[in-house]
Amino acid sequence: MIRILLIVGLLSTLAVSAGVRFSLLLSLGLLIGFSLERMGFGFAGPWRRLIRDRNAQGMMAQLLAIGLTAIAIQPIIAYAPGSFLGAIAPVSVTMVMAAFVFGLSMQMILGCGSGTLINAGSGNAIALVALPLFCLGSFVGTLLVPFAIESTPHIPVSLPALFGVQGSVGATVIGLIVIGLIAARYSQAPLWNRRLLTAAIILAGLAILHVLVAGQPWGVVYGLGLWVAKAALGLGWDPATTAFWTHPINIAALESSILTDTTSLTSLGLVGGAALAAWKESSDRPFEQSVAIWFYLVAALFGLLLGISSRLAFGCNVGALFSGIASGSLHGWAWLLAGFVGSIVGVRLRDQLWSLAQTSRKS
Amino acid sequence: MTRRFGIIVALLGVLGVVVIDWTLGVPPDPFRSPDPMAFGSTSGASGAICTFAPGAQQ
Repeated sequence: MIRILLIVGLLSTLAVSAGVRFSLLLSLGLLIGFSLERMGFGFAGPWRRLIRDRNAQGMMAQLLAIGLTAIAIQPIIAYAPGSFLGAIAPVSVTMVMAAFVFGLSMQMILGCGSGTLINAGSGNAIALVALPLFCLGSFVGTLLVPFAIESTPHIPVSLPALFGVQGSVGATVIGLIVIGLIAARYSQAPLWNRRLLTAAIILAGLAILHVLVAGQPWGVVYGLGLWVAKAALGLGWDPATTAFWTHPINIAALESSILTDTTSLTSLGLVGGAALAAWKESSDRPFEQSVAIWFYLVAALFGLLLGISSRLAFGCNVGALFSGIASGSLHGWAWLLAGFVGSIVGVRLRDQLWSLAQTSRKS
Repeated sequence: MTRRFGIIVALLGVLGVVVIDWTLGVPPDPFRSPDPMAFGSTSGASGAICTFAPGAQQ
């Protein structure tokens, strides 16, 4: 009861001091974080189970969530293109390479963009080490993005612009079904899990609400890079030296409170929501992982890579994979393929390093 | 040590980010806030989004 009162008080204070929209966005972040943590829905874990255990249940739930979101948000975004914005980004060689690195890195720490925030919120030691570096990497990535765009062709491909909304929604749903059929063929476990499917429907509902409130799809990494950029500003960094932070949108973000930044609010909410969901059982679970200290350094390194790669790939599993595909951006599909190949490598590498880290601790 | 310690660290981290931003930056101004929802409003998306690609071909 005290926790509910605290949250209501926090959301009311934010509504009064910043605005109702920002309070609603924090609410959505809290609900997403709470739901995903409580229902065990994720991105890195299900890919790992598909690759390692040939279990496609989590993957099927992801595809359902993306499909439901796509069916709703593509017409909404097309309805008022001046007010609404899809998660459309360019496809390029560096974007694909970065998605590969992200897929690999998220398997190394078993946490993707949303997953690292949720794991940190639930008190996971590895995620707590990786998250600050993830934020730092996201900022470093913003410094590298203009060079990547200058050095290789970056071509945004919007399916709604190419095929119209109906054609794009149809192509998106067919694409998701094809991926689902491939996963189903590979899977050796029952395909459907009621808890994960329920979580998928809840997530799709919250992602659609996010578009209605914010005017743009759910994202994670922009906010993380913004926090470090603001800290760097305080330490004397000059944003005028970078092409990314001299864009009017980013100047406005730097000059405003993070309590008015869409992705910052939902990301803060993810941590808070996961903390709420995990609080009750947290006193029965050990904080330390049964691995050698050096694995935490590995986690920090891959946290940094998560941040850099997610900027160069124009989003993580949320901004690029989930929201990109749901918005009809071809880069979301490129992210899915490259990220999955990276995950195949990452699963193998993690198993080897994890085993070594456990052996090192015992000896 | 239990996971509750980790949760407290995470929440303190979140609180720290907000407090530092509030004290060193510009506090939010509720009188300049957009409409509660972008849907049905002229105050739409901020454009500060993960897919933001400055200078890319449009």
